[in-house]
Amino acid sequence: MDRQEENNIIRDVTSREYSGGFVTDVEQEFVPKGLNEDTIRMISSMKDEPRWMLDFRLDAFGRWKKMKQPDWAHLDMPPIDYQDIIYYAAPKKNADRPKEIDPKLAETFEKLGIPLHEREALAGVVAVDAVFDSVSVKTTFRKALEEKGIIFCPFSEAVREHGDLVRKYLATVVPPGDNFFAALNSAVFSDGSFCYIPKGVRCPMELSSYFRINASGTGQFERTLIIADEGSYVSYMEGCTAPMRDERQLHAAVVEIVAEKDADVKYSTVQNWYPGDEEGRGGILNLVTKRGLCKGAGSHISWTQVETGSAITWKYPSTILKGDDTSSEFYSVAVTNNRQQADTGTKMLHVGRNTRSRIVSKGISAGHSQNSYRGLVSMARTAENARNHSRCDSLLIGPDCGAHTFPVIRNSCRTAVVEHEATASKISEDQLFYCNQRGIGTEDAVGLIVNGYAGEVLSRLPMEFAVEARKLLQVSLEGSVG
Amino acid sequence: MAERGHGTYIDIPVQYGEGVIVAGPGQTIRKVIVCRPEDGGGGAAVPEHIVAERDSVTELCIAVLPGVNADFPIAVDITGSGASVRISGFYICGADESVKFCIRVNHRCPGSVSEQLFKGIAGGVSSVSFDGCITVAPGADGTEAFQECHNILVSDEARVRIEPQLEIYADDVKCSHGATTGRLGEEELFYMRSRGIPDTEARVLRIISFLSPVIAFAGTEGEGLAAEAEAAVRRVVGGNV
Repeated sequence: MDRQEENNIIRDVTSREYSGGFVTDVEQEFVPKGLNEDTIRMISSMKDEPRWMLDFRLDAFGRWKKMKQPDWAHLDMPPIDYQDIIYYAAPKKNADRPKEIDPKLAETFEKLGIPLHEREALAGVVAVDAVFDSVSVKTTFRKALEEKGIIFCPFSEAVREHGDLVRKYLATVVPPGDNFFAALNSAVFSDGSFCYIPKGVRCPMELSSYFRINASGTGQFERTLIIADEGSYVSYMEGCTAPMRDERQLHAAVVEIVAEKDADVKYSTVQNWYPGDEEGRGGILNLVTKRGLCKGAGSHISWTQVETGSAITWKYPSTILKGDDTSSEFYSVAVTNNRQQADTGTKMLHVGRNTRSRIVSKGISAGHSQNSYRGLVSMARTAENARNHSRCDSLLIGPDCGAHTFPVIRNSCRTAVVEHEATASKISEDQLFYCNQRGIGTEDAVGLIVNGYAGEVLSRLPMEFAVEARKLLQVSLEGSVG
Repeated sequence: MAERGHGTYIDIPVQYGEGVIVAGPGQTIRKVIVCRPEDGGGGAAVPEHIVAERDSVTELCIAVLPGVNADFPIAVDITGSGASVRISGFYICGADESVKFCIRVNHRCPGSVSEQLFKGIAGGVSSVSFDGCITVAPGADGTEAFQECHNILVSDEARVRIEPQLEIYADDVKCSHGATTGRLGEEELFYMRSRGIPDTEARVLRIISFLSPVIAFAGTEGEGLAAEAEAAVRRVVGGNV
């Protein structure tokens, strides 16, 4: 394919519309712009929170004020005015039917392909917690889950109804002072999902959170806490979209996972926040802290992420392998196009004996984007016979993009083994030629090659998500490779 | 060179400071540097900055023997097409040494090749750190850059830290890095022991075979290096450092 043709295709792909970019016109209530103790007290009182929760927030706010925004990432980050953000926005409930979801909201999620009406969803397949700006608007299949003793509800409800559980586990994996954005989230987080799987229970359906930023000038700060008790299993999925706007919107979430003895948690993300336009105007700043703790022996946490959206992504889903014989995996496909920037990767902190981890990261950069993998594999002295294997591949599309790899390996244990390999290249002419020769057009050949390249990760996604992820990958990439 | 912590490439012109080694057009430079404790580490001979011009060949091999504390920052600027740079090294640490390599290879032009191969043994309470960065400037198409760093820990107190980095701003490139830290393979040791080779001897053999690609690279200029390395490995395995 010659340059001209390649450019045409890139232009064609990049000018394709972001399908989640509409705005829903619902009446909303806000707290005033700006961040101070009063804002936090207001959020806390609006949510009718107990005293300890407010103290937790104020403590986090105190820490945040002393912290500086990190600048070590390979990102050209615009300055963020934290006083110019609305920290809480919620759709007003229709007074006539207070228990029903606003039809406009239902329509929004319907447009996004998120089924909120249980009977319309494939029976028993996915339970959804939909978060609209700062509040959770609907959680489906709660009855079916309750029968098994599973708690899956909005975070604010969990604080009220399962206070002891929340209190026991909240911030045990990501402490409020962990980092700048985690501290900010701890101070102002509005809603999110809470999930508890009791001992020995295998969650019968996929649990899913769907996040949507709608209101202008707001930030979304959700918090997710997943607790898998002994011997339980859960597969959790997360998806996100936002309207198209010229302003940058902030999304600073925290996800904590605790896996007790022999528990198995699978966490999948398809991140499709609005990436900004071709010139890099607007888009979501996705600054997220995600961390899992393999607390009990034999537990397992698996992260799978497909990152296609956001103007800036700063995200490192990590696992602390504390228990003996624990294992963790991180599978990631990060796609950047136009002016998007991504600095993403993982941390595997091995503490227990015979711990195992595996990292597979596939970066694809196109247009003028910058895509970085940043990772840490650390073997503590106690991590006898621990093993890690990491593989990071980067695919470069077009002369103006960048692909970077910043792994760090620290080994203090004689019997631990760490292996890391990384490659960066463009799609080889040989592969394209081979396909062309057999009558496969360049477009299709590129699609085939990219799909094969990302296939190892995509195949890890739950079925419902794999379909969406493949579609997203096609929209953001197929044909732009040459 | 790209500045850390920012998402864009910043082109800083090549600085020809003191002690810079320039491989002129078509020139070949080969250097083997052995750092022994009795020579005060021998680190002064290690160049801090190398500039590789058109069609030049630069080959540098650094051997760090036990008892040497080393901190070698080496910057390489490849400014001419057809240039080839190969840097290799091994380090054997058995006591409380601290060995640091910080290698920055900047491909500033199209069509050049760079290769790095580092292998090392960390024993005693030594700490080893390898920080290697390959930067490929915008437009430096046809670059081939490879980097490998492999380590074996032979004691409970030794520490290894590796930071291999790639920063690539051009698309028609082939770049890779590989980094490992590990231990001596139980199965290989068992294989040798079951054939009557004593444990210590088996470990020495295994380590020598691990280091041999770098030793072989030193070639005739590194005459006597193999014997010296073997003696050093014996000392480390035997715990007489």
